[in-house]
Amino acid sequence: MMRRKKDSVTVMVLCLLFLFSWVFPGTSFASNISESQLQEIQQQWQSSIHALNEVNCSSCHIDEKSKAFRAKPTEVSCKSCHEYSTDTFLLGKHGIRTLEGLSPLSPTMAHLPMKKSALDKQMNCNSCHNVHTVNTYQASVDSCLSCHNDTHSLNYKNSPHAQIVADIGVLPRPDSKSVTCATCHLPREVSGDGVLVNHNNTYTLKPRDRMVKEVCMNCHGLEHAYNSIFDDELVEANFAHPPSLELPTFKLVRDLEKKRSSQQTQ
Amino acid sequence: MLLLILSSAFALDRRSVFLPGETSNGHVLFEVSCSSCHEGFKPVSNETCNRCHEAELAKDVHGAKKFRDPRWAELRENIDVLSCTACHEEHTHMFGRGVHLKPDLCMACHQGIIKGELASHNGFSPNGCWTAGCHNFHDHRSISTGFLRQNLDQPWMLPEPELPNIVVKTKLDTAPKPDLGKEFIGGKS
Repeated sequence: MMRRKKDSVTVMVLCLLFLFSWVFPGTSFASNISESQLQEIQQQWQSSIHALNEVNCSSCHIDEKSKAFRAKPTEVSCKSCHEYSTDTFLLGKHGIRTLEGLSPLSPTMAHLPMKKSALDKQMNCNSCHNVHTVNTYQASVDSCLSCHNDTHSLNYKNSPHAQIVADIGVLPRPDSKSVTCATCHLPREVSGDGVLVNHNNTYTLKPRDRMVKEVCMNCHGLEHAYNSIFDDELVEANFAHPPSLELPTFKLVRDLEKKRSSQQTQ
Repeated sequence: MLLLILSSAFALDRRSVFLPGETSNGHVLFEVSCSSCHEGFKPVSNETCNRCHEAELAKDVHGAKKFRDPRWAELRENIDVLSCTACHEEHTHMFGRGVHLKPDLCMACHQGIIKGELASHNGFSPNGCWTAGCHNFHDHRSISTGFLRQNLDQPWMLPEPELPNIVVKTKLDTAPKPDLGKEFIGGKS
């Protein structure tokens, strides 16, 4: 009797596990949206840059080869136009699992603190971007903070950088004065006549000296940048105040300069 | 069927058993994908690393261009500087950084610098070259004596703080009609 009960519990647990694994990957399932949701999406799209550049529903929702309908397009669709953004995304921590043929990154796998409300998310282009409005304002801060829950991220809102953004107000995309999460971690790069966005979120993260030239020195002088970014506490505080660190490397370089100029005058 | 699903899941999970140690922060997210870096039991090649790290190594000052010069052949005997894995080891935790790296590797060739060859650096710690934020082995674009000299004494805000602006072009003046609609309703996939 006991044995049979135990068996039936095992079968139930296995069935539940099966159901769980069936429901939660949730990648290729139908969108199941209502008429009013569809209307809202169509309105968002109609005033978007996509619509005005002849990128219609079918451009992303119909598979080019098989002509099959796709409720949830992946980064493969985005790549057909946004090649640099997608390729760089796949090289960073956000996209590397997808590139290597594993399930997409989820906040449950992260080593950094993540928001509990985000644990079932999976990383894709539209995890951060509203692909129907195509405005990037939301993707520049709010999307990041929907998952990231570490001190540096949370302190952004109290930083002088965030104050600049708040003073400018909401825009379709951050302008040349706005300093958002993306400004430093997914920076814009001038390329020919245009500007591309490097979506490799690991590239301008570490080593920190790479950030100095690629990002900080768009606005700040060298010494301010170095003394800020090598101060762990100030990084945690999201650069809430001017740096107090004085890296000895600058004294060395100044001494070298003095020595060189005195040698020249002799 | 159920058995098959469970056993294959088990097999996939078990792949982490083959990991010989702690994977670095940068690689841990795909550590179960052995074939991303390993081709059978062959040593990891530079090509494998370059699949992802090409941008970081675009201006590698300690790269092949420098070390093909016979002047440096002798130093290559100290450390196989042209193989990524000579310095970067994986699956073995060494140091609290994104990559596994012994902090005093520079000493394989540059030990003289802290032992009297360069007065300003005499007695410096062999661990400090890059950990103190002064040198970057691969990339001198944003850290090097030359770069620091060139940019010394700048004000905290540069005269024209500005980031690249994205200018969006449009082909049409008004949006066309959406070309799909009913497909999205009712759970068709």
